[in-house]
Amino acid sequence: MSTSRLHRSFQALVLALLGLFLLNKVWNGTVLWYINSRFLPLTLIGAFGLLWLAQVRLAQLQSTLEGTHDHNGSSPSAWGLLVLALPILLGLVIPPAPLGASAVANKGFAVVAPAGAGGSPVQIEMAPTDRTVLDWVRAFNYTADPAGYEGEPADVIGFVYHDPRLAAGEFLLARFTLTCCVADAAAIGLIVRWPAAAELPTNRWVRVQGPVQLAELEGRRIPLIEAQSVEAVPPPDLPYIYN
Amino acid sequence: MARRVMSSGLPRFVLGLAFGLALMLWLAGLRGAGLGEPLSAFSTVFLGIFIEAAPFLLLGTLASGLVEVFVSPDLLRRRIPSGALGGALAGAALGFLFPVCECGTVPLARRLFRKGLPVSVGVAFLLAAPVINPIVLVSTAAAFGFGPLLAWRFALTAGIAIVTGLIFSVESQPQRLLRATAMPALQGGSQALTSPWASGTRSQNMSRALVVAGDEFFEMGRYLVLGSALAAALQTFIPQARLLELGSGPLLSVLVMIGLAVILSVCSTVDSFVALAFLGTFTPGSVLAFLVYGPMVDLKSVLMFRQVFKRRAVLYLILLPLALTTAAAVTMNLFLAP
Repeated sequence: MSTSRLHRSFQALVLALLGLFLLNKVWNGTVLWYINSRFLPLTLIGAFGLLWLAQVRLAQLQSTLEGTHDHNGSSPSAWGLLVLALPILLGLVIPPAPLGASAVANKGFAVVAPAGAGGSPVQIEMAPTDRTVLDWVRAFNYTADPAGYEGEPADVIGFVYHDPRLAAGEFLLARFTLTCCVADAAAIGLIVRWPAAAELPTNRWVRVQGPVQLAELEGRRIPLIEAQSVEAVPPPDLPYIYN
Repeated sequence: MARRVMSSGLPRFVLGLAFGLALMLWLAGLRGAGLGEPLSAFSTVFLGIFIEAAPFLLLGTLASGLVEVFVSPDLLRRRIPSGALGGALAGAALGFLFPVCECGTVPLARRLFRKGLPVSVGVAFLLAAPVINPIVLVSTAAAFGFGPLLAWRFALTAGIAIVTGLIFSVESQPQRLLRATAMPALQGGSQALTSPWASGTRSQNMSRALVVAGDEFFEMGRYLVLGSALAAALQTFIPQARLLELGSGPLLSVLVMIGLAVILSVCSTVDSFVALAFLGTFTPGSVLAFLVYGPMVDLKSVLMFRQVFKRRAVLYLILLPLALTTAAAVTMNLFLAP
């Protein structure tokens, strides 16, 4: 078997593996750790497209084995094959995980919420306890006088992030919002006042209940929960808030 | 290049495999050394960009495969205006015919160059198509509404693409701008990639188009992988918060947002939603610059440009739009913004 044929066989293999890799991510739901669900159809098209290309490549290999059919084009180089196998290898070696607190530290913490598609302000009609972290932040960002929200009961989940700007006995209840893929993930959050804040490990998912107050962080309005209860919860299946 | 590798292919392949294995072991070691969380963030962002962009690249390479088999150089010559201005205008409008984002335009442009498309037309297409196409029109309108920002985005992108195309048209010898793999065979392009104009049955042609697409997916795909990895590394290890803190002032904010667009490497079909988040805190000109420059130049597209253009031309492709975008955005900040 010539080197070129070997490369072509590997090309078909890598194409097929990439397609299966994507399908597997869709199948077990972890694809939503990487992209917004609205791009799922596109990922599926991509996965089946890759499998299709692999199939055509294999069929062509077979036909050139039998006949005199001259093959077109050049075979991909060895390092091209390896580089394209990199996403699969990385996916195997590093256990997949959604973004966490270390990314908050790096991306910075957006006190201003992304307005989301259509720039629509908040649906204030929803019951206070149904609001997510994002809803609360929006409510405080896009209302002229957020004092009206004070005292309303909050019931939200998020992960613990210890921001150095906060006082003792406080932590940030953080979430990531995602528009397209994790490359554009933005961290948002609420301040939670909880005497035992320091005992909560960073990255731990918690459910916080308590009345909301108006606070300020670096000159910007931000909701603060006077926590009555903080309980550990398992990480949600959908780790980000998709908008 | 592919030929050169083939001659010594097998040893290199083994060497590459060994290198890959060593890399994996090293990564596994880093995880043990407490770098686990940044490493996992890197991997997540990297796979995010790759999974998001791969289908678009695939569509671009499929379009390229179809062009290879079904579009003859004659057809191009008849349809594309020969004048410099007409050509640049046509190139900028071509995106409506091929609605692909930046990962898809590069393979397609290279294929069109190989069919004899003038460099200036292709350059205008390359810069304009990621924005000037129906999909991005819809997504921009969804994010910002049919307002001034949408109009500015499209007008400025078209303007910059046309001006850059015109500047490229000054160079009359394409071989001084294009790499051999992007040249038509008759004009000294490499033979390796060339094949005669299709004349087989329908299914033979179709399967040839797909084989071409598969090859191109590998050739361009490795730059997508490397670009995604680079962007993910920058995102993981450079504090963006620090970067954004710099961003006030009419000029500085524009430069910061351009830098952010390059680092984030978000696909042009969705970058409007990302830009929306900055509208409140950043100057309008800088958000415009993000929306105009990001689709033209980012880490992965620059790596892919290198497969089409010679180094000097790539430099022009980075710097000309940079200068024009900055000038326009700063002007907007100084004179037009409320």
